[in-house]
Amino acid sequence: MKYDVVVVGSGPAGSVTARFAAETGAKVLILERRVEVGVPVLCGEGISQKIDNWGMLEGKRWIASKMDGAKIYAPDGTMVTLSKEMAGNETGYVVYRDIFDQELARQAAKAGAKLMMKTEATELLVDNEQIKGVKVKQFDEEFEIEADIVVGADGVESKVGQWAGINTVLKPNDLETCAQYTLTNVDYKSDYCEFYIGKKIAPGGYVWIFPKGKGIFNVGIGILASLSESGMALKLLDNFIAGHSELKKGEPIRLLAGAAPVAKPVETVKDNLILVGDAARHVDPITGGGLTTALEGGKIAGETIGRAIEQQMFDEETLSAYETGWKEAFGRKLRRDYLVKEILLDFDDKTLNMLADSLKDYKFKEFSTLSLVKALVLKHPTLLMKLKPLLKVSKESKED
Amino acid sequence: MGKPKAKVDGEKCLACSGCISVCPQDAISMCGGRAFVMVDKCISCAICIQTCPVGAISGEVY
Ligand SMILES: Cc1cc2nc3c(=O)[nH]c(=O)nc-3n(C[C@H](O)[C@H](O)[C@H](O)COP(=O)(O)OP(=O)(O)OC[C@H]3O[C@@H](n4cnc5c(N)ncnc54)[C@H](O)[C@@H]3O)c2cc1C
Ligand code: SF4
Ligand code: SF4
Repeated sequence: MKYDVVVVGSGPAGSVTARFAAETGAKVLILERRVEVGVPVLCGEGISQKIDNWGMLEGKRWIASKMDGAKIYAPDGTMVTLSKEMAGNETGYVVYRDIFDQELARQAAKAGAKLMMKTEATELLVDNEQIKGVKVKQFDEEFEIEADIVVGADGVESKVGQWAGINTVLKPNDLETCAQYTLTNVDYKSDYCEFYIGKKIAPGGYVWIFPKGKGIFNVGIGILASLSESGMALKLLDNFIAGHSELKKGEPIRLLAGAAPVAKPVETVKDNLILVGDAARHVDPITGGGLTTALEGGKIAGETIGRAIEQQMFDEETLSAYETGWKEAFGRKLRRDYLVKEILLDFDDKTLNMLADSLKDYKFKEFSTLSLVKALVLKHPTLLMKLKPLLKVSKESKED
Repeated sequence: MGKPKAKVDGEKCLACSGCISVCPQDAISMCGGRAFVMVDKCISCAICIQTCPVGAISGEVY
């Protein structure tokens, strides 16, 4: 069996890459080791409404609810609100990730991509040091699939990258280890996504509450693996819910564990190989959100692959148009947010409380770094020292 | 007696792949929907144990 492209993984990054490659006429196969695309869901299911402009998803079945903004709670309970007016088009949807992923897979299929379920890539097919496809296991059968380009869209595991000699191993301080309940019958009205921060609540991470509508909420936690102990994420989440007057009366209809990379992106291109999505560490290091970058990066990857197939050139240089493309689209943001993540990790609860206290009445619509810093420092002058590294990052990222 | 090697409790594992992504030895794989440690490759660093959000991994002396 010979294809132009074999995509390992049918998550958002894999399906979008497959779709845009197939639209150029390339012969594309997606491999998925699961038995249903998008199932089980391993996600908080929040996404920015800016995806409306990209036209990648049809219909509305994948949307559970719309969020009007965000509320961030400091360790002492001080609340900072980012309302719709303030956050602009960065407000979000809560989605049904299973339907969301299946809609993206449908778009790939419509463009001509083939899908194989319960088919796991087990290693690269290499001949004379050149990548020629993948070896797979389907039920108890093992066979080879030849392709000119292999796409690693295999999520946080990123084994395809490792097989190709790219160091994708995450350091414990570059991974958020997560747990989440979907609670139903919760008597709590909120059209905001809520975030709770603090060393005792979620060391190196946060607790989130995303409203799915009809009294259903995704309540999850991510903590930095380097600050975690065995089983800690789920224990802290249980504690949080037990301490919340409304959530604790809800009943769980889903429990999941998850892992979100909060690392610097890796090398994403080799001869005959491309990495996309979580496998490429295309996740915002501050929030752990990776859906928008999976879609954006997937499109660039698919288009690059299309051109490579047309020219029948599969070397690193040809494929590096993808790396240049994603760096232009969101590479700088990922790099900046990685630095910000490192700085925020040094903030103790007292600093976070002071920050929230300064920001709680701040009008975010006049957002400018200078006015923000003035507002912060006027109220708590000692914040200036703490914020210095952040200002440096903001200045540098403007310059480059 | 050797150092304890990682062992996944298949009843507890929720297949999040976190342990796989941090293992410096590529000693863990998903196997039938559960993480599985290849004992020969494990160097007993315990990073995966600390990472597991639901406490499904423990050290076992072989
Ligand atoms: C708890 C949690 C909450 C999150 N919440 C949000 C959120 O609210 N908003 C947001 O934007 N992001 C969120 N993220 C991040 C988001 O889920 C990921 O960035 C996104 O899923 C990345 O998509 P992907 O296609 O790269 O990988 P995935 O969606 O992980 O897809 C990878 C696919 O590859 C398959 N696969 C893996 N290995 C193989 C193999 N060898 N052979 C065949 N198939 C294979 C897997 O089965 C899977 O289907 C969250 C992550 C976690 C863990
Ligand atoms: S103990 Fe270390 S080497 Fe062994 S499986 Fe866990 S992470 Fe890998
Ligand atoms: S970290 Fe724990 S729950 Fe996640 S795959 Fe590994 S053993 Fe399973």
